[in-house]
Amino acid sequence: MLQLIFFNITNGLIIGAFYALMAIGLSLILNLSGVINFAHGGFLVIGGYLAYTLTPSLGFWGALIVAPFLTALIGFVVERLLIRRLYGRDPLYSLLLTFGLAFIIEDGTRQIWGAQGLPVSVPAALSSPLSYEFFFITGYRMFMVATVAIVVGLLFVLLRYTRIGVRIRAGTLDLDTVAALGVNVRALRSLNFAVGIFLAGLAGVLAGGQLGLEPTMGDSLLMPSFIAIIVGGVGSLTGTLLGGLLIGVASGLTAVIFPSASEAVIYVMMAVVLLVRPRGLLGEEGMMT
Amino acid sequence: MSKELIGRSVQRRTILKAGLAIGAMQVASPFVVKALAKEPIKIGLDNPLTGTYAAPGRNEQIGCQLAVDQLNAKGGILGRKVELLSEDSTSGDAGTAVQKARKLIERDNVDFLVGNVNSALAQAMAQVSNEKGVLHIVPGGHTDGITGTDCKWNVFRVCNTTRMEANAVCGLLFKDYGKKWYFITPDYAFGHTLFQGCEADLKKLGGTVVGNALTPLGTTDFSAYLIQARAANPDVLIVLVQGNDMVNCLKQISQFGIDKQIHVAGTQQELEAVEAMPPEARVGVWMFEWYWKQAAGTPGLDQFIAEVRKRTDGKVPTARTWFGYVTIHAYALACEKAKSIEAKAVARTLADMELPPDVKLQPNKVYFRGGDHQLMLSAFIGELLQKGDGDPENLFKVNSIVAGDSIAPSVTDTGCKMNMPA
Repeated sequence: MLQLIFFNITNGLIIGAFYALMAIGLSLILNLSGVINFAHGGFLVIGGYLAYTLTPSLGFWGALIVAPFLTALIGFVVERLLIRRLYGRDPLYSLLLTFGLAFIIEDGTRQIWGAQGLPVSVPAALSSPLSYEFFFITGYRMFMVATVAIVVGLLFVLLRYTRIGVRIRAGTLDLDTVAALGVNVRALRSLNFAVGIFLAGLAGVLAGGQLGLEPTMGDSLLMPSFIAIIVGGVGSLTGTLLGGLLIGVASGLTAVIFPSASEAVIYVMMAVVLLVRPRGLLGEEGMMT
Repeated sequence: MSKELIGRSVQRRTILKAGLAIGAMQVASPFVVKALAKEPIKIGLDNPLTGTYAAPGRNEQIGCQLAVDQLNAKGGILGRKVELLSEDSTSGDAGTAVQKARKLIERDNVDFLVGNVNSALAQAMAQVSNEKGVLHIVPGGHTDGITGTDCKWNVFRVCNTTRMEANAVCGLLFKDYGKKWYFITPDYAFGHTLFQGCEADLKKLGGTVVGNALTPLGTTDFSAYLIQARAANPDVLIVLVQGNDMVNCLKQISQFGIDKQIHVAGTQQELEAVEAMPPEARVGVWMFEWYWKQAAGTPGLDQFIAEVRKRTDGKVPTARTWFGYVTIHAYALACEKAKSIEAKAVARTLADMELPPDVKLQPNKVYFRGGDHQLMLSAFIGELLQKGDGDPENLFKVNSIVAGDSIAPSVTDTGCKMNMPA
C-alpha cells in the first residue's frame, strides 16, 4: 500500500507538470489581457497536429522545436485580428469569442487532418520504461517533465530579469499605470499572448507523443488547467505551477482509494479552495474580480 | 466616442434581432404541402459528426450514403427515390440527439430513423421514435437494454449487444490466458453492462475478478489505473474502454511494458481505434464486429470495399461503415418485401428477416431475431497485428468467425418483452 501511494504521488507529479504547462500559458494571457482563453485547448491541438505534419521532414526533435513557434505565430495573428478588438470590454465578449474559436479550430482540424485519430511514435530511445520496478516512469515521461521544468524555468527568468518580463509583471498588477509610463501596451499584450500560445503549442507536441492526436484532445486537458489556475490563485504564476502539481497528485492519490472519483476530486479541490480561500493558494486579494 | 459606441451597439442589436428572427423562422415549422405520390422516401440519420465519436459516426454515414446511392441507381425503394437527411447528434449530448430526432420526424417527415453510436443517445432517440411510431434502427450503440429490457416494437439493432461481445471472447481468454482478470471499464451504461457480462462469464468458468477500475469517459491518462492493475497481479488485463480512451490506454500499456508482463485483451475492438495507435500499442486478443479482410469469394465483399475506397480517399470499410450499409439495405429489403413503408408492416417483415449474401458480407446466417429485434451477426475473433499484413490497413488477424446466435443470450435472458401493436 505504501509503495502504491508513493507510486501514485510520483505519477501525479508527472501528470501535474503537464497540467501546469497548459495552465501557465492560460494564466499569462488571463493576467495581462483579462482574456479567459477557451481556445487554449484548440491551440494545443494545432501544435500537436503541426508537429505531426512537420515530423516527416524535420524529424521528432525538429518538429518539437518548430511547431510551438508556428503555433505561437498563429496565436499572434489571432490576437492581432480578433482578440485585440475586445480588450476593455466585458470579459464575456472575449470568452464567447474564444469559445467560438475553440469550435472552429476543432472542426478545422477535423477537416484538414480527418476525424480519425492519428498515431504519433516517439523516438525509440524514449519509449521504454526506466526500470521494471518503476514501470510507469518511461523515458518519454521523464523527458516531458524535464522539458516542462526547463521551459517554465526560462519563463520565470524572462519575467524576472528582462525588461519585457518586468513590464508584463507590472502590467498584471496595474496596466493603466504601465501604459501611462509610455510602455506600448498593445505590443506587450500581443507578445504576451504569443508566449502563452507557445506554451499551448509545446503542450500539444508533448501530449501528441504521450496520447496520440485527435481533434477533441484539447477539451479534456483544458478543464484541469483552469482548475490549476483557480486553486493556485489568479494572478500568480507560481500559484498556477503549484496548482497544476497539486491537482495531479490529488487525482493520482484518489486513484488508489476511490478510482472512479479520480477525475471528480480536482473539482472538489476547486470547490474547497473557493469556499475557504477564494483568492487561491498564492493569489493576490482582489485579483478575481 | 461614446456616441459612436452607442450607435454601433444599436446597430449590432438590430443585427442580433434580425438573426433571432431568422432563427425563429427556421424553428417555426412551415406548412408544407404534402407532395405527390412519388415523393422520395426520407431516411433520417441522427448520429455524431463532431466530438469523441466523430470518426465512427462519419463512417456509419458513409455506409448509409453508399447504400442509398446503390438503391437509387436501381430505382429506389418501391419505385421511389431515397433521400438521406443527416443531422449531427453530438457525441454525448442526449438533449441535442433528441431534438434532432424530433426535427427529423416532425419537420422533415422522415419515414425511417437511424442512430446512434452512443448507447445513451440511442436509448433517448428510441423513446422519441417509439412515441412517434417511426421505424428506427440503431446502427452502433451496444448497451444491452436497447434490445433487452427496453426493447420496443419499432426499434431494431444491427451491432452486437455488450453481452454478445463478452460471450464471444471470455471462454477463449480463460482457456488461453488464465483465470485472474483485472478490468479497465468505462464508467457509463455501455461499460457497466459489458463488465457485468464478462464477470458473469468468468464466474461461470471458475475464474475471479481481481479488480475493476471504472474510468470516466474521456480519460486521457491511465497511468494511475495501470499502477493499480499491475499491483493486483492479474493473469489478464481486460480493456473495455473504447474510442480514444482505448487508444490512450493501450498506448500507455505498451509504453509501460505491461503487455510484456500481463496478457492484454478485451472485447470490442475497432479499426478506427487501431489505426490511431502507434504499432507497438497494437497488442492482444479482441473481437471485431465486422472485418474487411475475409476469405476470398465472400459474395459482394470486393465490390463493397472498392465502393467505400472511392468515397474515403482509399480507406477500407470498418465495422461502422458496414453498420450504416446494412442498416439501409435491411430497411429497403423489408419495405420491398412488405410492399409498404408503413412502420408496423416493415417492422413485422424485418423481424426474423435473413440478410442476403451481398448485404451481410460475411459467413454464417445473419438475421434479425423476432423476439428482441437484435441482428444475429458474426463475431470476428483474433489478434491485432503491429504492421499491416499485405495492406497497411490489414491490422487484425482473424482466427475464427463465430455465428451471432451462438454467442447471444436467449430472448428470455435478454429481458425483452416485445409488444407488437396490432
